[in-house]
Amino acid sequence: MLITPAIVALQGIAFSVTGAVLLASGFAWRILRHWDIHSGSELQLRLERQTYLIATLLGFALGAELLSLLLFVHTAESLSSQFVGAMCATGVLNVNAFGFPTLLLKIAVFFLATLWLLLNRVDNRGYDYPLVRVKYGLLLVIAPLTLAEGTVQTGYFLGLKPEVITSCCGSLFSSDNQGVAAELAGLPPGPTLALFYAIALFLAAGGVAFLRWLQLGPLFAMISLLGFAVAIAAIIAFLSPYVYENPNHHCPFCLLKAGYDYVGYALYPPLFAAAAVGLSAGVIAPFRHIVSLQAVIPKEVRWLTKLALAGFGLFYGLATWLLLRSNLILLG
Amino acid sequence: MIELNNVSKTFQQNRPNECQALRGIDLHLERGGITVFKGPSGSGKTTLLTLIGCLARPTAGRIMLGGRLLSNLPERFLTEVRRHTFGFVFQQFNLIRGLTVLENVMLPAYPLGRPHRELTDAAQALLERFGLGVKTLDKVEWLSGGEAQRTALARALINDPAVLIADEPTANLDSALSREVLALLGELATQGRTVLISSHDPLVFEAAQVDRIIEMHDGQIVGDRRC
Repeated sequence: MLITPAIVALQGIAFSVTGAVLLASGFAWRILRHWDIHSGSELQLRLERQTYLIATLLGFALGAELLSLLLFVHTAESLSSQFVGAMCATGVLNVNAFGFPTLLLKIAVFFLATLWLLLNRVDNRGYDYPLVRVKYGLLLVIAPLTLAEGTVQTGYFLGLKPEVITSCCGSLFSSDNQGVAAELAGLPPGPTLALFYAIALFLAAGGVAFLRWLQLGPLFAMISLLGFAVAIAAIIAFLSPYVYENPNHHCPFCLLKAGYDYVGYALYPPLFAAAAVGLSAGVIAPFRHIVSLQAVIPKEVRWLTKLALAGFGLFYGLATWLLLRSNLILLG
Repeated sequence: MIELNNVSKTFQQNRPNECQALRGIDLHLERGGITVFKGPSGSGKTTLLTLIGCLARPTAGRIMLGGRLLSNLPERFLTEVRRHTFGFVFQQFNLIRGLTVLENVMLPAYPLGRPHRELTDAAQALLERFGLGVKTLDKVEWLSGGEAQRTALARALINDPAVLIADEPTANLDSALSREVLALLGELATQGRTVLISSHDPLVFEAAQVDRIIEMHDGQIVGDRRC
Protein backbone atom coordinates (compact mmCIF):
# COMPACT_ATOMS: atom_id res chain seq x y z
CA MET A 1 0.00 0.00 0.00
CA LEU A 2 1.20 3.50 -0.80
CA ILE A 3 0.73 6.10 1.91
CA THR A 4 0.43 9.69 0.80
CA PRO A 5 -1.34 12.60 2.52
CA ALA A 6 -4.14 12.42 -0.09
CA ILE A 7 -4.71 8.69 0.49
CA VAL A 8 -4.79 9.23 4.25
CA ALA A 9 -7.28 12.08 3.73
CA LEU A 10 -9.45 9.98 1.42
CA GLN A 11 -9.48 7.07 3.86
CA GLY A 12 -10.22 9.49 6.71
CA ILE A 13 -13.18 10.86 4.75
CA ALA A 14 -14.37 7.35 3.85
CA PHE A 15 -14.28 6.11 7.45
CA SER A 16 -15.90 9.29 8.79
CA VAL A 17 -18.63 9.36 6.17
CA THR A 18 -19.39 5.65 6.45
CA GLY A 19 -19.47 5.90 10.24
CA ALA A 20 -21.71 8.97 10.20
CA VAL A 21 -24.06 7.57 7.58
CA LEU A 22 -24.38 4.19 9.32
CA LEU A 23 -25.00 5.93 12.62
CA ALA A 24 -27.65 8.09 10.99
CA SER A 25 -29.21 5.08 9.29
CA GLY A 26 -30.39 3.70 12.62
CA PHE A 27 -31.98 7.05 13.29
CA ALA A 28 -33.46 7.12 9.77
CA TRP A 29 -35.07 3.75 10.38
CA ARG A 30 -36.66 5.06 13.59
CA ILE A 31 -37.91 8.14 11.71
CA LEU A 32 -39.52 6.00 9.03
CA ARG A 33 -41.16 3.74 11.61
CA HIS A 34 -42.23 6.16 14.32
CA TRP A 35 -42.41 9.71 12.92
CA ASP A 36 -45.84 11.25 13.52
CA ILE A 37 -45.89 15.04 13.43
CA HIS A 38 -49.35 15.09 15.05
CA SER A 39 -48.20 13.18 18.07
CA GLY A 40 -46.89 14.87 21.20
CA SER A 41 -45.32 11.67 22.49
CA GLU A 42 -41.95 11.70 24.17
CA LEU A 43 -40.48 9.64 21.34
CA GLN A 44 -41.75 12.05 18.67
CA LEU A 45 -40.32 15.05 20.51
CA ARG A 46 -37.00 13.26 20.92
CA LEU A 47 -36.91 12.48 17.19
CA GLU A 48 -37.65 16.15 16.41
CA ARG A 49 -34.75 17.28 18.58
CA GLN A 50 -32.33 14.65 17.29
CA THR A 51 -33.05 15.35 13.64
CA TYR A 52 -31.18 18.68 13.95
CA LEU A 53 -28.05 16.99 15.22
CA ILE A 54 -28.18 14.12 12.73
CA ALA A 55 -28.90 16.40 9.75
CA THR A 56 -26.03 18.73 10.70
CA LEU A 57 -23.66 15.79 11.06
CA LEU A 58 -24.76 14.40 7.70
CA GLY A 59 -24.41 17.82 6.09
CA PHE A 60 -20.71 17.87 6.92
CA ALA A 61 -20.19 14.19 6.09
CA LEU A 62 -21.88 14.31 2.69
CA GLY A 63 -20.26 17.67 1.91
CA ALA A 64 -16.87 16.00 2.46
CA GLU A 65 -18.04 13.14 0.25
CA LEU A 66 -18.61 15.58 -2.65
CA LEU A 67 -15.07 16.88 -2.32
CA SER A 68 -13.64 13.38 -2.04
CA LEU A 69 -14.60 12.60 -5.66
CA LEU A 70 -12.38 15.40 -6.91
CA LEU A 71 -9.61 14.45 -4.49
CA PHE A 72 -9.81 10.79 -5.53
CA VAL A 73 -9.43 11.59 -9.23
CA HIS A 74 -6.64 14.07 -8.51
CA THR A 75 -4.86 11.46 -6.34
CA ALA A 76 -5.14 8.80 -9.03
CA GLU A 77 -3.71 11.26 -11.54
CA SER A 78 -0.88 12.36 -9.24
CA LEU A 79 0.15 8.73 -8.54
CA SER A 80 0.59 7.93 -12.23
CA SER A 81 4.37 8.41 -12.03
CA GLN A 82 4.60 5.68 -9.35
CA PHE A 83 3.45 2.77 -11.52
CA VAL A 84 5.15 1.24 -14.48
CA GLY A 85 2.86 1.51 -17.47
CA ALA A 86 0.60 4.19 -16.05
CA MET A 87 0.55 7.43 -18.03
CA CYS A 88 -2.42 8.98 -16.22
CA ALA A 89 -5.19 8.18 -13.72
CA THR A 90 -6.48 5.38 -15.97
CA GLY A 91 -3.36 3.30 -15.37
CA VAL A 92 -3.47 3.94 -11.63
CA LEU A 93 -7.16 2.97 -11.46
CA ASN A 94 -6.25 -0.18 -13.39
CA VAL A 95 -3.58 -1.28 -10.91
CA ASN A 96 -6.14 -3.58 -9.29
CA ALA A 97 -9.78 -4.57 -9.74
CA PHE A 98 -11.09 -2.02 -7.22
CA GLY A 99 -10.01 1.24 -8.93
CA PHE A 100 -12.84 1.82 -11.38
CA PRO A 101 -15.57 0.40 -9.09
CA THR A 102 -14.44 2.94 -6.46
CA LEU A 103 -14.69 5.75 -9.00
CA LEU A 104 -18.16 4.65 -10.17
CA LEU A 105 -19.42 4.31 -6.60
CA LYS A 106 -18.02 7.75 -5.78
CA ILE A 107 -19.87 9.24 -8.75
CA ALA A 108 -23.14 7.55 -7.71
CA VAL A 109 -22.74 8.78 -4.11
CA PHE A 110 -21.85 12.26 -5.42
CA PHE A 111 -25.23 12.55 -7.16
CA LEU A 112 -27.23 11.08 -4.27
CA ALA A 113 -25.35 13.15 -1.68
CA THR A 114 -26.08 16.35 -3.62
CA LEU A 115 -29.74 15.39 -3.76
CA TRP A 116 -29.78 14.66 -0.01
CA LEU A 117 -28.08 17.95 0.84
CA LEU A 118 -30.53 19.94 -1.26
CA LEU A 119 -33.54 18.03 0.10
CA ASN A 120 -32.25 18.77 3.60
CA ARG A 121 -31.83 22.46 2.71
CA VAL A 122 -35.45 22.65 1.56
CA ASP A 123 -36.75 20.57 4.48
CA ASN A 124 -35.09 22.90 6.97
CA ARG A 125 -37.09 25.79 5.55
CA GLY A 126 -40.48 24.17 6.18
CA TYR A 127 -42.00 24.67 9.63
CA ASP A 128 -43.30 21.10 9.96
CA TYR A 129 -40.35 18.92 8.79
CA PRO A 130 -42.14 18.33 5.46
CA LEU A 131 -39.49 16.14 3.78
CA VAL A 132 -38.17 14.35 6.82
CA ARG A 133 -39.33 10.91 5.66
CA VAL A 134 -38.12 11.50 2.11
CA LYS A 135 -34.63 12.56 3.12
CA TYR A 136 -34.15 9.79 5.66
CA GLY A 137 -35.56 7.28 3.18
CA LEU A 138 -32.94 8.48 0.70
CA LEU A 139 -30.30 8.13 3.38
CA LEU A 140 -31.10 4.42 3.64
CA VAL A 141 -30.32 4.18 -0.09
CA ILE A 142 -27.08 6.15 0.31
CA ALA A 143 -25.89 4.15 3.35
CA PRO A 144 -25.08 0.83 1.59
CA LEU A 145 -23.42 2.74 -1.25
CA THR A 146 -21.12 4.66 1.11
CA LEU A 147 -20.32 1.42 2.93
CA ALA A 148 -19.53 -0.26 -0.39
CA GLU A 149 -17.52 2.74 -1.52
CA GLY A 150 -15.49 2.83 1.69
CA THR A 151 -14.85 -0.91 1.53
CA VAL A 152 -13.91 -0.94 -2.16
CA GLN A 153 -11.71 2.16 -1.77
CA THR A 154 -9.89 0.56 1.17
CA GLY A 155 -9.37 -2.57 -0.93
CA TYR A 156 -8.11 -0.41 -3.76
CA PHE A 157 -5.57 1.52 -1.70
CA LEU A 158 -4.43 -1.65 0.11
CA GLY A 159 -3.84 -3.25 -3.26
CA LEU A 160 -1.75 -0.40 -4.68
CA LYS A 161 1.51 -2.25 -5.15
CA PRO A 162 4.24 -0.27 -6.93
CA GLU A 163 5.70 -3.41 -8.50
CA VAL A 164 2.50 -4.02 -10.47
CA ILE A 165 2.87 -3.26 -14.16
CA THR A 166 -0.34 -1.65 -15.27
CA SER A 167 -1.79 -0.72 -18.62
CA CYS A 168 -2.07 2.81 -19.93
CA CYS A 169 -5.13 4.63 -21.17
CA GLY A 170 -4.27 3.84 -24.78
CA SER A 171 -5.28 0.20 -24.29
CA LEU A 172 -8.48 0.87 -22.35
CA PHE A 173 -9.87 3.74 -24.42
CA SER A 174 -9.16 2.20 -27.77
CA SER A 175 -11.80 1.39 -30.33
CA ASP A 176 -9.97 -1.87 -31.03
CA ASN A 177 -10.56 -3.08 -27.47
CA GLN A 178 -13.61 -4.62 -25.70
CA GLY A 179 -15.85 -3.00 -23.07
CA VAL A 180 -17.81 0.18 -22.42
CA ALA A 181 -14.76 2.46 -22.59
CA ALA A 182 -13.76 1.00 -25.94
CA GLU A 183 -17.34 1.28 -27.21
CA LEU A 184 -17.41 4.96 -26.23
CA ALA A 185 -14.01 5.56 -27.83
CA GLY A 186 -15.30 3.93 -30.98
CA LEU A 187 -18.37 6.15 -31.33
CA PRO A 188 -18.42 7.94 -34.69
CA PRO A 189 -17.36 11.58 -34.11
CA GLY A 190 -19.89 13.19 -36.48
CA PRO A 191 -23.14 11.78 -35.05
CA THR A 192 -21.79 12.05 -31.48
CA LEU A 193 -20.99 15.73 -32.05
CA ALA A 194 -24.50 16.27 -33.45
CA LEU A 195 -26.02 14.47 -30.44
CA PHE A 196 -23.79 16.47 -28.08
CA TYR A 197 -25.14 19.80 -29.38
CA ALA A 198 -28.70 18.48 -29.80
CA ILE A 199 -28.67 17.60 -26.08
CA ALA A 200 -27.37 21.11 -25.36
CA LEU A 201 -30.42 22.55 -27.09
CA PHE A 202 -32.64 20.04 -25.32
CA LEU A 203 -31.12 21.04 -21.97
CA ALA A 204 -31.58 24.73 -22.65
CA ALA A 205 -35.16 24.29 -23.87
CA GLY A 206 -35.98 21.88 -21.03
CA GLY A 207 -34.47 24.26 -18.47
CA VAL A 208 -36.36 27.29 -19.77
CA ALA A 209 -39.61 25.29 -19.90
CA PHE A 210 -38.98 23.98 -16.38
CA LEU A 211 -38.46 27.52 -15.11
CA ARG A 212 -41.90 28.34 -16.50
CA TRP A 213 -43.75 25.07 -15.68
CA LEU A 214 -42.51 23.41 -12.53
CA GLN A 215 -44.52 20.26 -13.24
CA LEU A 216 -41.77 19.41 -15.75
CA GLY A 217 -39.42 18.58 -12.84
CA PRO A 218 -39.04 14.83 -13.51
CA LEU A 219 -38.39 15.55 -17.20
CA PHE A 220 -35.66 18.08 -16.38
CA ALA A 221 -34.11 15.60 -13.94
CA MET A 222 -33.94 13.01 -16.71
CA ILE A 223 -32.57 15.52 -19.24
CA SER A 224 -29.86 16.52 -16.76
CA LEU A 225 -28.78 12.90 -16.33
CA LEU A 226 -28.97 12.31 -20.08
CA GLY A 227 -26.92 15.47 -20.66
CA PHE A 228 -24.30 14.19 -18.23
CA ALA A 229 -24.10 10.76 -19.90
CA VAL A 230 -23.87 12.26 -23.40
CA ALA A 231 -21.23 14.75 -22.24
CA ILE A 232 -19.04 11.96 -20.82
CA ALA A 233 -19.50 9.98 -24.04
CA ALA A 234 -18.64 13.08 -26.09
CA ILE A 235 -15.50 13.73 -24.06
CA ILE A 236 -14.29 10.20 -24.79
CA ALA A 237 -15.51 10.01 -28.39
CA PHE A 238 -14.29 13.32 -29.82
CA LEU A 239 -13.50 16.08 -27.32
CA SER A 240 -10.40 14.36 -25.92
CA PRO A 241 -8.88 13.70 -29.38
CA TYR A 242 -9.46 17.36 -30.24
CA VAL A 243 -7.71 18.51 -27.03
CA TYR A 244 -4.79 16.09 -27.54
CA GLU A 245 -4.85 16.75 -31.29
CA ASN A 246 -4.52 13.00 -31.76
CA PRO A 247 -7.41 11.03 -33.32
CA ASN A 248 -6.48 7.84 -31.41
CA HIS A 249 -6.13 9.33 -27.92
CA HIS A 250 -9.54 9.14 -26.20
CA CYS A 251 -8.60 9.15 -22.50
CA PRO A 252 -10.86 11.37 -20.35
CA PHE A 253 -8.25 11.44 -17.56
CA CYS A 254 -5.31 12.86 -19.49
CA LEU A 255 -7.31 16.11 -19.60
CA LEU A 256 -6.18 16.54 -15.99
CA LYS A 257 -2.50 16.65 -16.99
CA ALA A 258 -0.29 19.75 -16.98
CA GLY A 259 0.55 19.08 -20.63
CA TYR A 260 -3.06 19.88 -21.50
CA ASP A 261 -3.30 22.92 -19.23
CA TYR A 262 -5.19 20.99 -16.54
CA VAL A 263 -8.25 21.63 -18.66
CA GLY A 264 -10.11 18.70 -17.07
CA TYR A 265 -10.23 20.58 -13.76
CA ALA A 266 -12.19 23.33 -15.50
CA LEU A 267 -14.31 20.96 -17.58
CA TYR A 268 -15.52 18.33 -15.10
CA PRO A 269 -16.61 20.28 -11.98
CA PRO A 270 -19.26 22.40 -13.80
CA LEU A 271 -20.52 19.31 -15.63
CA PHE A 272 -20.85 17.17 -12.49
CA ALA A 273 -22.29 20.03 -10.44
CA ALA A 274 -24.79 21.00 -13.16
CA ALA A 275 -26.01 17.44 -13.62
CA ALA A 276 -26.36 16.81 -9.86
CA VAL A 277 -28.09 20.14 -9.23
CA GLY A 278 -30.38 19.72 -12.27
CA LEU A 279 -31.32 16.22 -11.15
CA SER A 280 -32.02 17.49 -7.62
CA ALA A 281 -34.11 20.44 -8.84
CA GLY A 282 -36.25 18.07 -10.88
CA VAL A 283 -36.70 15.67 -7.99
CA ILE A 284 -37.53 18.42 -5.47
CA ALA A 285 -40.06 20.25 -7.70
CA PRO A 286 -42.95 17.76 -7.20
CA PHE A 287 -42.94 18.55 -3.45
CA ARG A 288 -44.02 22.15 -4.13
CA HIS A 289 -47.65 21.34 -3.22
CA ILE A 290 -46.78 20.70 0.43
CA VAL A 291 -48.34 23.64 2.28
CA SER A 292 -45.27 24.59 4.29
CA LEU A 293 -43.09 24.50 1.14
CA GLN A 294 -45.41 26.31 -1.26
CA ALA A 295 -43.46 29.54 -0.90
CA VAL A 296 -40.04 27.89 -0.65
CA ILE A 297 -39.81 25.32 -3.44
CA PRO A 298 -40.69 27.39 -6.53
CA LYS A 299 -38.02 29.95 -5.63
CA GLU A 300 -35.46 27.34 -4.64
CA VAL A 301 -36.05 25.11 -7.67
CA ARG A 302 -35.84 28.03 -10.11
CA TRP A 303 -32.57 29.12 -8.53
CA LEU A 304 -31.19 25.56 -8.74
CA THR A 305 -32.30 25.27 -12.36
CA LYS A 306 -30.52 28.49 -13.26
CA LEU A 307 -27.45 27.18 -11.46
CA ALA A 308 -27.63 23.89 -13.41
CA LEU A 309 -28.08 25.73 -16.72
CA ALA A 310 -25.13 27.98 -15.87
CA GLY A 311 -22.99 24.90 -15.13
CA PHE A 312 -23.97 23.19 -18.37
CA GLY A 313 -23.42 26.49 -20.19
CA LEU A 314 -19.94 26.77 -18.75
CA PHE A 315 -19.14 23.19 -19.72
CA TYR A 316 -20.47 23.56 -23.27
CA GLY A 317 -18.77 26.93 -23.70
CA LEU A 318 -15.42 25.51 -22.65
CA ALA A 319 -15.89 22.35 -24.73
CA THR A 320 -16.73 24.43 -27.81
CA TRP A 321 -13.70 26.64 -27.27
CA LEU A 322 -11.48 23.53 -26.98
CA LEU A 323 -12.91 22.19 -30.26
CA LEU A 324 -12.43 25.50 -32.06
CA ARG A 325 -8.85 26.09 -30.90
CA SER A 326 -7.70 22.56 -31.84
CA ASN A 327 -5.61 21.90 -34.95
CA LEU A 328 -7.15 18.46 -35.33
CA ILE A 329 -9.68 17.95 -38.10
CA LEU A 330 -11.83 14.86 -37.50
CA LEU A 331 -14.90 16.15 -39.29
CA GLY A 332 -15.15 17.30 -42.89
CA MET B 1 -55.03 31.65 22.10
CA ILE B 2 -52.51 29.37 23.84
CA GLU B 3 -53.31 25.72 24.35
CA LEU B 4 -51.29 23.07 26.14
CA ASN B 5 -52.11 19.41 25.66
CA ASN B 6 -50.66 16.84 28.03
CA VAL B 7 -47.41 18.78 28.42
CA SER B 8 -44.63 17.28 30.53
CA LYS B 9 -41.10 18.43 31.19
CA THR B 10 -38.40 16.28 32.69
CA PHE B 11 -34.89 17.50 33.41
CA GLN B 12 -31.89 15.12 33.46
CA GLN B 13 -34.07 12.42 31.96
CA ASN B 14 -32.99 8.81 32.58
CA ARG B 15 -30.30 9.92 35.01
CA PRO B 16 -30.19 9.36 38.76
CA ASN B 17 -30.98 13.05 39.35
CA GLU B 18 -34.01 13.05 37.01
CA CYS B 19 -36.53 15.75 37.90
CA GLN B 20 -40.06 15.83 36.54
CA ALA B 21 -40.92 19.54 36.60
CA LEU B 22 -44.29 19.31 34.82
CA ARG B 23 -46.69 16.38 34.56
CA GLY B 24 -49.41 16.19 31.91
CA ILE B 25 -50.49 19.83 31.88
CA ASP B 26 -53.71 20.61 29.94
CA LEU B 27 -54.48 24.31 29.77
CA HIS B 28 -56.25 26.86 27.61
CA LEU B 29 -55.32 30.53 27.91
CA GLU B 30 -57.52 33.15 26.24
CA ARG B 31 -56.25 36.34 24.63
CA GLY B 32 -55.90 39.35 26.96
CA GLY B 33 -56.05 39.69 30.73
CA ILE B 34 -53.63 38.80 33.49
CA THR B 35 -53.19 35.17 34.44
CA VAL B 36 -51.16 34.39 37.51
CA PHE B 37 -49.48 31.03 38.05
CA LYS B 38 -49.38 30.58 41.79
CA GLY B 39 -47.52 27.97 43.77
CA PRO B 40 -44.55 27.26 46.00
CA SER B 41 -40.98 27.10 44.73
CA GLY B 42 -40.47 23.97 42.64
CA SER B 43 -44.12 23.71 41.66
CA GLY B 44 -43.28 24.19 37.95
CA LYS B 45 -44.49 27.77 37.40
CA THR B 46 -41.31 29.07 35.79
CA THR B 47 -40.80 25.89 33.75
CA LEU B 48 -44.33 26.19 32.40
CA LEU B 49 -43.76 29.83 31.41
CA THR B 50 -40.48 29.00 29.68
CA LEU B 51 -42.28 26.32 27.63
CA ILE B 52 -45.12 28.68 26.72
CA GLY B 53 -42.58 31.37 25.79
CA CYS B 54 -40.61 28.93 23.57
CA LEU B 55 -37.49 29.27 25.71
CA ALA B 56 -37.49 25.48 26.16
CA ARG B 57 -39.18 22.49 24.59
CA PRO B 58 -41.47 20.06 26.40
CA THR B 59 -40.39 16.46 26.93
CA ALA B 60 -43.85 15.35 25.82
CA GLY B 61 -47.09 17.02 24.76
CA ARG B 62 -47.95 19.85 22.43
CA ILE B 63 -48.26 23.61 22.76
CA MET B 64 -50.37 25.55 20.26
CA LEU B 65 -50.49 29.27 19.64
CA GLY B 66 -53.51 30.59 17.78
CA GLY B 67 -54.26 27.11 16.42
CA ARG B 68 -50.71 26.57 15.16
CA LEU B 69 -48.44 23.95 16.65
CA LEU B 70 -45.65 25.75 18.44
CA SER B 71 -43.69 23.18 20.37
CA ASN B 72 -42.52 21.19 17.34
CA LEU B 73 -41.34 24.13 15.26
CA PRO B 74 -37.76 23.95 14.00
CA GLU B 75 -35.49 26.34 15.88
CA ARG B 76 -35.37 29.06 13.23
CA PHE B 77 -39.17 29.35 13.20
CA LEU B 78 -39.33 29.20 16.96
CA THR B 79 -36.89 32.12 17.19
CA GLU B 80 -39.15 34.20 14.95
CA VAL B 81 -42.23 33.38 17.04
CA ARG B 82 -40.33 34.16 20.23
CA ARG B 83 -39.16 37.52 18.93
CA HIS B 84 -42.54 38.67 17.63
CA THR B 85 -44.99 37.11 20.05
CA PHE B 86 -43.41 37.04 23.50
CA GLY B 87 -41.82 39.58 25.77
CA PHE B 88 -40.03 38.41 28.89
CA VAL B 89 -39.46 39.98 32.29
CA PHE B 90 -37.11 37.85 34.33
CA GLN B 91 -36.99 37.53 38.09
CA GLN B 92 -33.44 38.91 38.25
CA PHE B 93 -34.25 41.43 35.44
CA ASN B 94 -31.21 40.22 33.43
CA LEU B 95 -30.29 43.73 32.33
CA ILE B 96 -26.87 43.99 30.69
CA ARG B 97 -24.48 45.81 32.98
CA GLY B 98 -22.28 48.40 31.32
CA LEU B 99 -25.00 49.37 28.83
CA THR B 100 -27.34 52.29 29.28
CA VAL B 101 -31.03 52.00 30.02
CA LEU B 102 -31.84 52.97 26.42
CA GLU B 103 -29.40 50.40 24.98
CA ASN B 104 -30.85 47.67 27.17
CA VAL B 105 -34.36 48.42 26.00
CA MET B 106 -33.32 48.48 22.33
CA LEU B 107 -31.35 45.23 22.52
CA PRO B 108 -34.11 42.65 21.72
CA ALA B 109 -35.07 44.62 18.62
CA TYR B 110 -31.64 44.57 16.97
CA PRO B 111 -32.10 41.18 15.24
CA LEU B 112 -35.26 42.49 13.54
CA GLY B 113 -33.30 45.14 11.68
CA ARG B 114 -35.62 48.07 12.36
CA PRO B 115 -34.22 51.50 11.35
CA HIS B 116 -32.11 52.81 14.21
CA ARG B 117 -33.90 56.14 14.48
CA GLU B 118 -37.33 54.47 14.62
CA LEU B 119 -36.06 52.02 17.23
CA THR B 120 -34.53 54.75 19.40
CA ASP B 121 -37.79 56.72 19.28
CA ALA B 122 -39.82 53.62 20.23
CA ALA B 123 -37.49 52.81 23.14
CA GLN B 124 -37.56 56.40 24.37
CA ALA B 125 -41.35 56.51 24.17
CA LEU B 126 -41.58 53.34 26.27
CA LEU B 127 -39.16 54.73 28.85
CA GLU B 128 -41.13 57.99 29.01
CA ARG B 129 -44.31 55.99 29.52
CA PHE B 130 -42.75 54.14 32.45
CA GLY B 131 -41.37 57.30 34.02
CA LEU B 132 -37.76 56.64 33.07
CA GLY B 133 -37.34 59.44 30.52
CA VAL B 134 -34.59 61.11 32.50
CA LYS B 135 -32.68 57.86 33.00
CA THR B 136 -32.24 56.82 29.37
CA LEU B 137 -28.50 57.46 29.31
CA ASP B 138 -27.79 56.08 32.79
CA LYS B 139 -26.00 52.78 33.16
CA VAL B 140 -28.38 50.09 34.38
CA GLU B 141 -26.25 49.33 37.44
CA TRP B 142 -27.09 52.80 38.78
CA LEU B 143 -30.85 52.07 38.83
CA SER B 144 -32.96 51.30 41.89
CA GLY B 145 -34.91 48.01 42.05
CA GLY B 146 -38.13 49.63 40.83
CA GLU B 147 -36.38 51.43 37.99
CA ALA B 148 -34.62 48.24 36.93
CA GLN B 149 -37.94 46.40 36.94
CA ARG B 150 -39.58 49.08 34.77
CA THR B 151 -36.58 49.03 32.43
CA ALA B 152 -36.99 45.26 32.11
CA LEU B 153 -40.67 45.79 31.37
CA ALA B 154 -39.89 48.38 28.69
CA ARG B 155 -37.37 45.99 27.16
CA ALA B 156 -39.97 43.21 27.10
CA LEU B 157 -42.33 45.49 25.17
CA ILE B 158 -39.92 46.86 22.57
CA ASN B 159 -40.98 44.32 19.92
CA ASP B 160 -44.66 44.94 20.71
CA PRO B 161 -45.38 41.33 21.76
CA ALA B 162 -48.89 39.95 22.09
CA VAL B 163 -47.91 38.00 25.20
CA LEU B 164 -45.91 39.34 28.12
CA ILE B 165 -44.38 36.75 30.43
CA ALA B 166 -43.19 37.93 33.83
CA ASP B 167 -41.43 35.54 36.19
CA GLU B 168 -41.85 36.62 39.81
CA PRO B 169 -42.00 40.31 38.80
CA THR B 170 -42.36 41.55 42.37
CA ALA B 171 -39.84 39.25 44.03
CA ASN B 172 -37.25 42.01 44.46
CA LEU B 173 -39.60 44.91 45.09
CA ASP B 174 -41.25 46.39 48.17
CA SER B 175 -45.05 46.59 48.41
CA ALA B 176 -45.33 50.09 46.94
CA LEU B 177 -43.18 49.24 43.93
CA SER B 178 -44.98 45.92 43.52
CA ARG B 179 -48.32 47.73 43.28
CA GLU B 180 -46.80 50.14 40.76
CA VAL B 181 -45.61 47.24 38.57
CA LEU B 182 -48.99 45.50 38.86
CA ALA B 183 -50.71 48.71 37.78
CA LEU B 184 -48.48 48.86 34.73
CA LEU B 185 -49.19 45.22 33.90
CA GLY B 186 -52.92 45.85 34.35
CA GLU B 187 -52.68 48.75 31.93
CA LEU B 188 -50.99 46.50 29.36
CA ALA B 189 -53.68 43.83 29.81
CA THR B 190 -56.47 46.32 29.24
CA GLN B 191 -54.75 47.27 25.97
CA GLY B 192 -55.26 43.69 24.78
CA ARG B 193 -51.99 42.03 25.69
CA THR B 194 -51.96 38.64 27.38
CA VAL B 195 -49.97 38.89 30.59
CA LEU B 196 -48.74 35.69 32.23
CA ILE B 197 -47.17 36.00 35.66
CA SER B 198 -45.62 33.43 37.92
CA SER B 199 -45.63 34.40 41.55
CA HIS B 200 -45.94 33.22 45.10
CA ASP B 201 -46.45 36.77 46.35
CA PRO B 202 -49.97 37.21 47.87
CA LEU B 203 -49.86 40.84 46.80
CA VAL B 204 -49.88 39.67 43.18
CA PHE B 205 -52.66 37.11 43.22
CA GLU B 206 -54.84 39.29 45.45
CA ALA B 207 -54.44 42.29 43.11
CA ALA B 208 -57.55 43.68 41.45
CA GLN B 209 -55.93 43.60 38.02
CA VAL B 210 -55.64 39.77 37.98
CA ASP B 211 -58.22 37.93 35.86
CA ARG B 212 -57.30 34.31 36.49
CA ILE B 213 -55.30 32.40 39.04
CA ILE B 214 -53.88 28.98 38.25
CA GLU B 215 -52.52 27.12 41.22
CA MET B 216 -49.70 24.65 40.77
CA HIS B 217 -48.15 22.01 42.95
CA ASP B 218 -45.54 19.34 42.14
CA GLY B 219 -45.71 20.07 38.41
CA GLN B 220 -49.48 19.79 38.18
CA ILE B 221 -52.37 22.23 38.07
CA VAL B 222 -54.32 21.87 41.31
CA GLY B 223 -56.60 24.90 41.02
CA ASP B 224 -57.97 27.25 38.37
CA ARG B 225 -59.97 30.27 39.48
CA ARG B 226 -61.29 33.25 37.52
CA CYS B 227 -61.49 36.53 39.40
